[in-house]
Amino acid sequence: MVKCILIASVLGTSIILSACSDRRIIEEIGFIQSASYDRSADGQLIIAISIPKADSGSKVSREEFLTTARSAKEARITLSRQSQLTLASGQLRNVLFGCSLARLGIWEHIDSLVRDTVISPQVRITLVDGDAAKLLTRQYKQHPIPGRYIEQLLEKSSRNQTVPKVTLHDFVKEYYEEGIDPVAPIIRDKGDHVEIGGIGLFRDDRYVASLHPEEALIFAFLRGKFNQGEIIMDLGSRNGIKETAMLSAINSKRRITVNFDQGVPTVYCHARIQGSIMEYNGTLKISDIHGRHQLETQIAQNVTERANKMIRLMQNNGVDSLGIGRFVRNSMSYSGWKSLDWMAKYPEVKVIVNVSVFIKDVGKLKI
Amino acid sequence: MKEKLSCFHAAILVHMTQTGIVIFALPGLLAVQFGTNGWLAVPLYFIVTLINVSLIAIVYRVGEGKSIFDILERSIPKVMLYPLYVFLIGLWSLIGCIAAKKYILLFQLIAFPTTNPMAFKFVIDLLAYALIVKGLYNIAKTATVFFWLIIWMGLFLFYFFGDLEWVTFTPFVFQGGHHDVKTYFDIYAAFLGYELSLLFIGYSDRKTRLVKAIIWGNGITAINYILICLVSFGFFSLPQLKSLFVPLLDLLASIKLPFIERIENLLYGFFLFSTILTIGMYSWSAKEVSQRIFPTVRSRFLAFVIVLLSFIVSFIPKSLYEVDKWLRLLAYLEFWVAFGLPLLLISVLIVQRGSKGELSHG
Repeated sequence: MVKCILIASVLGTSIILSACSDRRIIEEIGFIQSASYDRSADGQLIIAISIPKADSGSKVSREEFLTTARSAKEARITLSRQSQLTLASGQLRNVLFGCSLARLGIWEHIDSLVRDTVISPQVRITLVDGDAAKLLTRQYKQHPIPGRYIEQLLEKSSRNQTVPKVTLHDFVKEYYEEGIDPVAPIIRDKGDHVEIGGIGLFRDDRYVASLHPEEALIFAFLRGKFNQGEIIMDLGSRNGIKETAMLSAINSKRRITVNFDQGVPTVYCHARIQGSIMEYNGTLKISDIHGRHQLETQIAQNVTERANKMIRLMQNNGVDSLGIGRFVRNSMSYSGWKSLDWMAKYPEVKVIVNVSVFIKDVGKLKI
Repeated sequence: MKEKLSCFHAAILVHMTQTGIVIFALPGLLAVQFGTNGWLAVPLYFIVTLINVSLIAIVYRVGEGKSIFDILERSIPKVMLYPLYVFLIGLWSLIGCIAAKKYILLFQLIAFPTTNPMAFKFVIDLLAYALIVKGLYNIAKTATVFFWLIIWMGLFLFYFFGDLEWVTFTPFVFQGGHHDVKTYFDIYAAFLGYELSLLFIGYSDRKTRLVKAIIWGNGITAINYILICLVSFGFFSLPQLKSLFVPLLDLLASIKLPFIERIENLLYGFFLFSTILTIGMYSWSAKEVSQRIFPTVRSRFLAFVIVLLSFIVSFIPKSLYEVDKWLRLLAYLEFWVAFGLPLLLISVLIVQRGSKGELSHG
């Protein structure tokens, strides 16, 4: 019994003593929720952070700090001089990069985030079309905590395939992997709100091109498998009437195969799309099976055209955002792949997109 | 009469002794060493451990259940055995102590970074001491309880199945690796621990089915490692996996449940159970050997001295790099002990059998 008490007391004392130097009091900690990185005119780094206030008695719901520094870690030290709180990055959810900075490359900042064991690999990486610090520190009437608003906006948008979900882990995985380049969603400040501005395409760690938000679902069709989303299709004009269709509750699967003809790869990208028609203002009778088949063909043509255009844009900019290179790699021998300069070959590779569409239903109406 | 180990307890004890801190770095080590689909090397390592286990099985069968010390001391004068004993005491107590130090330094990557690591080391050594003095039978029972406390974490692997991309695996096998000789031993360190079962011989009887238990324990470890490494090779891209210091920690950090996230600190804490078992078993083995040099000294006192000395030694390596350097050397030595000791015992047994045959013929 005496021994048990002795061991318990030694254990207890040790734990209490060991915790002394690393004591954390929640009221004294400023949990950074969002951080932004921009480039100043003189080439310095502008870092802004947003900290939601935990104190319910406080009139303000958040605190923002802004500083100029050579690196993010230096900025944190400088920013901590401005705050009465101990700054902690463990609850960081969003990292915003201004597009002008992203064009120069963001790996050194990503490296710093990955190296920090406190920062979660689930932190979202986002580009800002414009000034990221301004967007983060702005007062939005309806959204008192912009960091949380942006997080929820991105969460919802990635669920609907309006933007791809890009976490720190995803970005690093694609940055490192051969045969694919990273992407990141773009947001922009619209005065009283923030809106999705498209998808940023990276070559290694440099932002080089973007896709229009309306093309996000086409990108999603080509990039993988998903279960939720909706898209408006402009199906051209017939008899002077502009035809559009809205495909909703989309399920999509993608398969990529590669054929080699005399050592030159041809990539076949097949997308199978299934969804419900929620809006249609064309001349076809979609309650009829033939009408539906015709509409399916029209939608497939539309998606194929837009997909081809998107692939051309990517090839012209030398970004393999769809990860076509990974499939080419997997269809070659290891030595063959290593001797191939994929990024040099990529712009000339023939990519044939084949889309099949299946309309599950056309809503509640029989007509 | 002394209680004997049951087959189940022995199997779990072997598995828990093997599962230590190397598991955190294992996927990364396999990626660096073997390159593409490095997880496929785990079954190969398992086969090597089985060869080693077969040597232990021969000792068990031919030695007719006699303890390894009885076998050695019957043919070799004790004085000649002392250097071997001292070497084993030093090696095993150091493996336990350095493994504990590594666990603490890794823990400080995610929590309590500025606390003196030796404060944690003191607490862990105290727990290890409390475990060692209870004897092998109680350590085995503790191992079984600890096993149930951590095995459920395997369910988290299902979390990653949705994120696995088969295209990431690539069809290439063992391409782009370093194939460095030293790293082969570093990886083997993840499997070490089963060789201590040589000391179980005196604590088991027929019902224990010791060899079967060692194979089962080893098998559970191999399956565990295959699953963790398979998920790691699909979740991370190969160069990313190569760049990570402790990929399993990153894997745990990626778990995000609807009600909680960032649970890697909590989950890492659970690995203390298997780490304590590893430390405990190596220190217990060192104590068993020291008992042969000092048969009249109380076992508790020997355990205390071993734990105290290893605690003092663990002050020396300060950084993770130093600890890794020490562990690398110790794992290398232990690999040769794992194969060398059964071979020595088999040789002694053959000589003993030969002289027995001569006597009966004479």
